[in-house]
Amino acid sequence: MNNLQTDNAPSLSVVIPPFIFGSLSFLILTVLIMLTGSGLLGVYFAGKLLAITHLAVLGWSTMIVLGALYQLVPVVFGQGLYSEKLAHITFWLFGLSIILLVYAFWTSSYTTELLYAASLMFISLSFFGFNILLSQRKGIQNIQAKYVTAAIIWLLLTALLGLLIALNFSFHYFSEVHLHYLKIHAHLGLVGWFLSLIIGISSTLIPMFFISHQLDQNNLKYSFYLTNGGLGLLALDWLILQGTFLIPLYWMIISGGILFYLNFVREAYVKRLRKEIDTGMKYTVLAVLSMLLPMVISILIYFKLGIENSFHMRAVTLYGFSIIFGLITPLILGQTYKTLPFIIWLHKYKPYVGKFKTPLPKDLYSEAIGTVQFFSYYAVMIVFLFAIILQNTMLVTIGSYLLLLVALLYNINVFKIIFHKIQTESLSS
Amino acid sequence: MKSVEEIKNIEGQLEQILYNVMDPEINLNIVDLGLIYSLVYDGENDVVIKMTFSTPACPLGDAIVMSVKQSINNVFPDYGIDVQIVFDPPWTTEMISENGKMMLGM
Repeated sequence: MNNLQTDNAPSLSVVIPPFIFGSLSFLILTVLIMLTGSGLLGVYFAGKLLAITHLAVLGWSTMIVLGALYQLVPVVFGQGLYSEKLAHITFWLFGLSIILLVYAFWTSSYTTELLYAASLMFISLSFFGFNILLSQRKGIQNIQAKYVTAAIIWLLLTALLGLLIALNFSFHYFSEVHLHYLKIHAHLGLVGWFLSLIIGISSTLIPMFFISHQLDQNNLKYSFYLTNGGLGLLALDWLILQGTFLIPLYWMIISGGILFYLNFVREAYVKRLRKEIDTGMKYTVLAVLSMLLPMVISILIYFKLGIENSFHMRAVTLYGFSIIFGLITPLILGQTYKTLPFIIWLHKYKPYVGKFKTPLPKDLYSEAIGTVQFFSYYAVMIVFLFAIILQNTMLVTIGSYLLLLVALLYNINVFKIIFHKIQTESLSS
Repeated sequence: MKSVEEIKNIEGQLEQILYNVMDPEINLNIVDLGLIYSLVYDGENDVVIKMTFSTPACPLGDAIVMSVKQSINNVFPDYGIDVQIVFDPPWTTEMISENGKMMLGM
């Protein structure tokens, strides 16, 4: 069959459980945010805030990415997944480690529980990393594959540093305070893992969904070297030299890389064949534009432009919030609508194509629910931005309820897609 | 072996059938989308179709190919259909028909 990508598609049992776990994690995340309330405005390294952050980046974001990436391996690499068995083992280990980790942070159990969680996390992410890297070994060697490889390496380094931090709670060998290493850990994860993966995958998916052609690939190449080079220098400086005056320079290098990527997306948007933008792509476009927000905040933080000491902590919270809820979450919300319906549609309707009239992938979910969810989500963003800047607990409460609504609507649509019943009509009708 | 006129006639019918095969993502039929590069009927029982996808990484590729084969077999059950996927020349938006451009709001 002409080496088609769907010949290599993994089975549903590999792809769907991470989507289910991730969607439910998002729902639980919103409940935890409600329970934390004004605690969200406190110091970012408090136990409950760490529990929420890790549930957001691991249970919600990384778990969905896991499922989506298994499906996208053939699309990006032109090769099937190396081992489905390893993917199943990874899912169970990773899921268990997330539950343990969130419990450990929520209850501030920084010794035994955290140690088990971090060890299990490192093992499960190593399995995941090996599975993806081995799949890529014989695949297409393009810039997207390089991004995915870089993302996996950053993810493993993030998990390793997380494990070392957890071990240090029991064995105390670090020369600096925990916060110093937490900062590096967070940047390896947010910039290294998520940003590399987002650029790598979205540079395949965005032109595909927009139907844009003849895009300048040099933007992606420059972006690759600048973002990864800048982050590598930043991490080494922090680790070895504990942070020199060159830190802002590394930020500028990373920001330059992001700007090249944004230029790539701009070109894809301008040259797009499909003028109508559906819910999934609305989220995606706004998420990509939101990349500018942490860039601006980081400049304000590092150059202390207009930031008094009392505002510094809020700016740091805002910085993390803008990455997790400005970029990563809407991107996943949006791309769920672009990937999950196709996965289920292919599985359910492949035997019927040409024989019966079948629904389209977009008919598997409610666009109306998706639209309400979209506007509610951006209402949440605005409310939380003001809540953090003004330190207003009332706004935190309103934002939390709205976010719960978003998570409920998202889960309704996800489960509507997953449990879709086959509907066919005769071709003559 | 059929006459040249009969062959042309059947090729016309086959093309009409392909107007009912949709690209599920773009929601436009594959003929107006410009995905069909050539369609040749040999006058006996074989049809060779050269086609492409809007992107080489098209995740719905084999669903489209299956739909092509099945749609033709619904009308011509005895025909063997060889669908060859090619990416040279690569598909561009210029290949979309005027009708297709109108349907896509271009």
